Formats: sequence, C-alpha cells, structure tokens
Amino acid sequence: MLALQVLINGILLGGLYGLMALGMSLIWGVMNIVNIAHGALIMLGAYLTFWLFTLWGWDPFVSLPVTIALLFVYGYCLQRYLLNLIVRAQLFLTLLITFGVEVVMVNLVRVAWSSDLRQVTPAYAGAHFKVGGITVPYVRLWVFLTTVILSVTFLLILEKTRLGRAIRATSEELRAARLAGIPVAHIYAITFGLGAALAGAAGGLWGMLFPITPIMGGGLTLKSFVVAVLGGLGTMMGAIVGGLVLGIAESFSATYLGPTYPNAISFGLLVLILIVRPTGLVGRRGSA
Amino acid sequence: MKTRWAPVAAGVVVLAVLAAAPAALSPFLVQFLINLFMLAALAESWNIIGGFTGYASFGNVAFFGVGAYATGILLTRAAWPLALALPAGGAVAMLFAGLIGMPILRLKGHYFAIATLGVAETMREIVYNLEITGAGTGLVMPISRSPIPFFYLMLGILVAATLVNRWLSASRFGYGLIAIREDEDAAAAMGINTPLYKTLAFALSGAFAGLAGGVFADWITFIDPDGVFKVSTTIQMIIMAVFGGMGTVVGPLLGAVVLASISELLSTQLVSLAELFNGLVVILVVLFMPKGLAEFIRKREFSVRQLVRNLREYRV
Repeated sequence: MLALQVLINGILLGGLYGLMALGMSLIWGVMNIVNIAHGALIMLGAYLTFWLFTLWGWDPFVSLPVTIALLFVYGYCLQRYLLNLIVRAQLFLTLLITFGVEVVMVNLVRVAWSSDLRQVTPAYAGAHFKVGGITVPYVRLWVFLTTVILSVTFLLILEKTRLGRAIRATSEELRAARLAGIPVAHIYAITFGLGAALAGAAGGLWGMLFPITPIMGGGLTLKSFVVAVLGGLGTMMGAIVGGLVLGIAESFSATYLGPTYPNAISFGLLVLILIVRPTGLVGRRGSA
Repeated sequence: MKTRWAPVAAGVVVLAVLAAAPAALSPFLVQFLINLFMLAALAESWNIIGGFTGYASFGNVAFFGVGAYATGILLTRAAWPLALALPAGGAVAMLFAGLIGMPILRLKGHYFAIATLGVAETMREIVYNLEITGAGTGLVMPISRSPIPFFYLMLGILVAATLVNRWLSASRFGYGLIAIREDEDAAAAMGINTPLYKTLAFALSGAFAGLAGGVFADWITFIDPDGVFKVSTTIQMIIMAVFGGMGTVVGPLLGAVVLASISELLSTQLVSLAELFNGLVVILVVLFMPKGLAEFIRKREFSVRQLVRNLREYRV
C-alpha cells in the first residue's frame, strides 16, 4: 500500500518535472542553447504568482495565464535582443551567457524582493481526499492535471499549427528555413518565449507546493536538464516520460533512502543514463 | 619556443615587490590581495581544463571545497599542522578530481558542463549530511593568527599555478591537451592517450583548486557547505579566465586582477551588487570580447570597431 502511495506521489510531482523539462528541451532542440537561466525563469514565474496572490488575492490557478503571458513576452525579448546576437557561437559561449542571465536575474530579484522564503497558501492548500487508503492532496492533483493540459496544448501547437511547423523547420535546417521565407530571428524569439512561458507555468505551479526563494532555480535547472536528457533530447514526449521517471525515482528514494539527497539522486540518474543509453529513453539518434 | 625575457623580468620584479609588500600595506589591503591571489590561482587552475583542454567545467568549485574540507578536517579533527594538512588537502582534491574525471570526461560539451555542475551540487549535499564535516554547521579552524603567512601561501600557489600554465603552453603534454581541444578524434588518431591526458589535466586543475581551498579554510577560519561550494565561485573562475583570455598563460591572471578589483569596490557598497556585476560582466564579455583581453593585447589594437565586429560575428 505504501508503495502505491509513493508511486502516486511520484507521478503527481513528475508531471511538473515534465512541464519544466519541456521548455528546456524545446530551446535546446531548436537553437542548441542549454538554457542555464531556465531555473531562474521558473523562479520568476513562481514570484509572479506569489505577488498576484498576495497583493491582489488572485487564485494561483486563475493567475496562471497572466504569468504565462508575461513570461512569454520576457522570453521573447531576451532571445530577440540578447541571445540572438550570440546564438551561432560555440556551445561554451551560449552556455556562459545564459549563466550570466541567470546570475543577473537571481540577484535583481534578491535586491528587489529580498531572500525571504515566500509561500502561496490558498485556502484549499491543506485539503485532500482518500481513495482506498491512498491520500491525494487536491492541490497536487490539480497541479498535475494543469501540467497535462498545458503539455498537450503545447504539443498540439508544435505539431499541428503553422507556427509549430515553422519552429520545427528552423530547428531542422536554419538556412533552408530562411530560404523558405521563415523569419528566423522572430521564430527563435517565439521559441524561447514558449520555453520561458512553460517555465513560468511550471514556476507558478511549483510555488503552490514548495517555498519560493530567489535561489530556488539552480537545482531546478539541473533537474530540467536531467529530465530532458533522460527522455531523449529534442523529443517532446521524452521530456514528459523523463519527468515521470525522475518524479517516481525521487519519490521512492525519499521514502526508502531518506530525503537528504535530492540532487544526488537526479545527478546519479543523469550519469547512469548517459552511460547506459545516451540517446535517452525515447530518443532515436545520438545528438551529443 | 624561445623564451622571451621581458615578461619573465617583469614577473620577477612584481614578485619581489609583492614579497616585500605585506609589512607596508594596511590589513585591509593584505586581505584583499590574499583574496585576489586566490581568485587568480583558481582562474589559472580552471584554465588548465577549460582553457587548454577545452572541457568547460562548471563545477571546479567542488575541488576547491574538497580541498578546503580535507585540510580543515585534518587541522581540526586530527590536529595536523598546516604544513602537512595543506599538501594532504591538495592531494585529496587531486585524487578526487582524477577519480570523478574518469567517468565524467567521457562526456562532451553541454553534457560535461552540466555533469560538473551536478558534481559540485552533489558534493555540497554530501558535505551537508556528513558528521565528520560538521554537517550544516560547518567547521571552525583552531585559532586565527596573523594573515601574513596566508599572503605568502596564496601567492606561492598562484605562482605555481601560473608556472604550470606556462609549462603547458610549451610542452609535449600541453600540446597534447590543445590538440584534444581542437579535435579530440584527430588527437587520438595521432596517438595521444586522450583519456589519460584529460584525466591528468582535470586532476592538475583540481590539485590547485584544492590547495587554494585548503589555504582559504585556515585563513577564513570557518567553512560551511554553502560558503565553500558556491556556484558563484565557479562563475568567477570561468569569467576571469574568459575575460583575460582562455588558454593563455597571463589571461586568467589579468582577468582576476581587473575583475576582482572592480568587484571589491562594488561589494563595499552591497554584496548582491558585486554578484550582479559578475553576471553583467559575463554577458558583456561573451557579446563583445569572447576571446578575452589577450586578443587585444596580441593584436595591439583596442577599438570600438573590433568590439562591434565581435558582436556581429555570431548573430542570427
């Protein structure tokens, strides 16, 4: 019975990991940028949700579309006016510049809003229901359902719309896409905006379950990366599968090994998967 | 490669001045210089793996922390004198870097970068949970003494690290590392034992970071996991090396002197301001001078045109 409870907990958390990794995997797959600032975008989403909740009393689920829209605009500008300048440089430089963006964002937030621990606590925060001895908190369930809705919406945009086709074409072959009349700089910016929007959504949801601090993003960047690699780079389905795997692995290890080594678990998983199956769980060809 | 004597002479003069300096300087300046030497030594140590070998480690602070903790544990729990504890701490860091390097150096590019980031985070977590390291509360070193010995120790480590970089820039082993950076498969085809070379470079890098960490622990007299395994320390190493010029001998030194000075001036205002500055420098350096100051010195030209050319080179 305990094992089933632990499994459910893992799946509910894993959905959120999947949502985080989706944004990272998209940006990586299309532009070959490993966005170290991804965790900082998640952090920003969490803070926006927190302020909308605290100042104006907006329910975190209601304010989610606002957070998503703001993060999209922010991500669009970041790519359009900063990262596009460097996007064709070697990996090290693009990695380094997103590192710089992360440091700037974290410290600006720290100066503006202090390092205090924040929490989003709607009235229903503690409510839960039981099914055959399994406890399910409502918030976690709704968070999970929201991640499913957002992930499916995103996948549909990518697969079925003109915009999605343009993004995929740009990712396949930059020059051919440009010849076909796709405004590449604009598409790159939209891609980053989408990635940031997904990160912001994940942040808003994360803030309902865990405390919010300026430095919360560092570990989440690592997790997003692990999940993206775990599932197979650039495959969107992979990110979701990887998220569930990490969520379940963490849940079991926290129950049976103790809760003190969350990063060590994800990191160990990363090294393991890179050695055993470098293309990821769902991936087809190597992209390392 | 012929030895050019002008830089050597300049180096000797600077060293002589520095060696006589502590007596004449204010305590504040002595502390600042110790910190500067430490950052410069870390930048030079990062340069071995990141600059020469081309493996962008984002977790070198792990070796700094392992060195600090190994030295600290020997000083406090085993009551060793620093003269023994420090080399032992450096050796532990070197061994750790070598062992962790064996699996991790098989990864490339982004994967290697994130894996090293993971090593540093994991080490922080492990140290947080161990009894012998004092867990979350940290370790307090015996007694604080005059800072002057630490001045000479840090300076010594910096000089040694710089000399090793100099040696790498003109030796068989160093050429091997550069060959790996330029094209690893070709290097292997030429008969270079690439796994061995990479692991040795990583261990060497770890040794100097560990030594700097060991001196840091005794100098600062108190270490805790969050203070020693800081991601921002890794960023500082990287950005100082990049700012000055990766893969050059004097670049990291130059970068450390310039950036540490500015950062010190800012942190007298506000600590977060200094961090913010670090982040901004990272962004600006990547945009305007990705090859570092060394490029401008080599070309003997520093113009806005060159900066703009750098800016336009990689845009889409």
